Amino acid sequence: MALPVAYWVVLILFGMGLYCILTERNLIKIAVGLNIMEAGLLLFLVRMAYSPGDRAPLLGTGVIRMADPIPHALTLTAIVIAASTTALLLSFIIQIHRHYGTVDIDEIRSKMK
Amino acid sequence: MNWVIALFDAGVIGVLLIFLVISAGAAIAFRNVLNSVLALSVFSIVLALLFVIYQAPDAAMAEAVVGAGLVTALFLVTISKTGATGGDG
Amino acid sequence: MKLHRIGVAILIVILSVTLAGALAELPSVEQRTSTSQLTRRVIDGGLQDTGALNLVSAVLFDYRAFDTLGEATVIFAAVAGVVMLFYQAPLHPSSIGLSMLAKRSLDSIGPFVFLAGMYVVLYGHISPGGGFQGGVILATLTILISIVYGLETERRLLDPTFKTTLESSAALLFMVIAFGGILTGEYFLSNLSAGFPRGEAGSLLSAGSLAPLNAAIGLKVGAGLALIFYSMVKREPE
Repeated sequence: MALPVAYWVVLILFGMGLYCILTERNLIKIAVGLNIMEAGLLLFLVRMAYSPGDRAPLLGTGVIRMADPIPHALTLTAIVIAASTTALLLSFIIQIHRHYGTVDIDEIRSKMK
Repeated sequence: MNWVIALFDAGVIGVLLIFLVISAGAAIAFRNVLNSVLALSVFSIVLALLFVIYQAPDAAMAEAVVGAGLVTALFLVTISKTGATGGDG
Repeated sequence: MKLHRIGVAILIVILSVTLAGALAELPSVEQRTSTSQLTRRVIDGGLQDTGALNLVSAVLFDYRAFDTLGEATVIFAAVAGVVMLFYQAPLHPSSIGLSMLAKRSLDSIGPFVFLAGMYVVLYGHISPGGGFQGGVILATLTILISIVYGLETERRLLDPTFKTTLESSAALLFMVIAFGGILTGEYFLSNLSAGFPRGEAGSLLSAGSLAPLNAAIGLKVGAGLALIFYSMVKREPE
């Protein structure tokens, strides 16, 4: 398939993040995997808006060909939302550690019984 | 001279994409959570550089500030509060 | 355990192949930008419609301003959640900060970080940047202060109650500007058509309601994220 190289990297990042989420037992590593998955999505949005030769979507510079500004706005929204959800996730991890004394999900599961 | 610039562009993008995959792999493969979080910070900076090359300066600025500054700080707070580094290596 | 990992890997390979097939079906970028009405409308008519030079800001705070209001609500919910989770944790002023060298360094670069944050917020409609990026820079400054000078100093400089008030009043400012459109007989979040001054493209006071909306979002994001960091860090280590 004649996909751009960046799209393959998007797939690799998405898969790596998902693998990390599904196989890791440390809650903090799961948060890291979630961040990598989100980064793959952001790279997809930004690459989708670009074709070689484009310039940044700023007027007043005399540029005619520019990248699509709509996916850029979506990317910006996604970055900030990802940061605030990560903050909430990490707060829950701290509270879970306070309650169970560990961040390993297997130990937490055995202590829940 | 245009094809030289195009070739240079493609080379820079290729190197940055390889860096991106390597730092993501490092963030996942490290057993120590602290190393993993620092690799994630490097990953964010490389991603911000790629956004600049793909002509998205707004998104690049947000990714650099959020990914390397704020999210890393929050991860470090979590690690220090839970005291869980999860082994070495 | 080994079997579990292999199963997950197979699942992810199947998912990736499916996604690659979907990506190959996407129209190429050249095709899309030449035919997409939406993109052409934003690039060709953005200056006419909003008066802003930075088209990303134009999309965020004019064409899709309602979406930005929703995003601000998500941030508000996240801040409320984090503050609620750590509400009962007492302040634990353990750290007296770093060495004198670090403190003097922060003294010299701190004002410039603040200036950079305010610049990025206020010039969001002209150059790359805007409320979100500038707000995060301002929040990072409070993180630097609490690391270098200790949490107690940061609390004395910027009381948490003050941050809460700042965040709420920034949200109120956004809503007041948004209702300004309705008062003049236009729609919610109308910009130039509601009589906000267009100004001269490229000057600080231009693009109607974009600059005040940027400032409101910048204050809200900065105060909210600073509050998140403060709430998370104040609990004593176990």
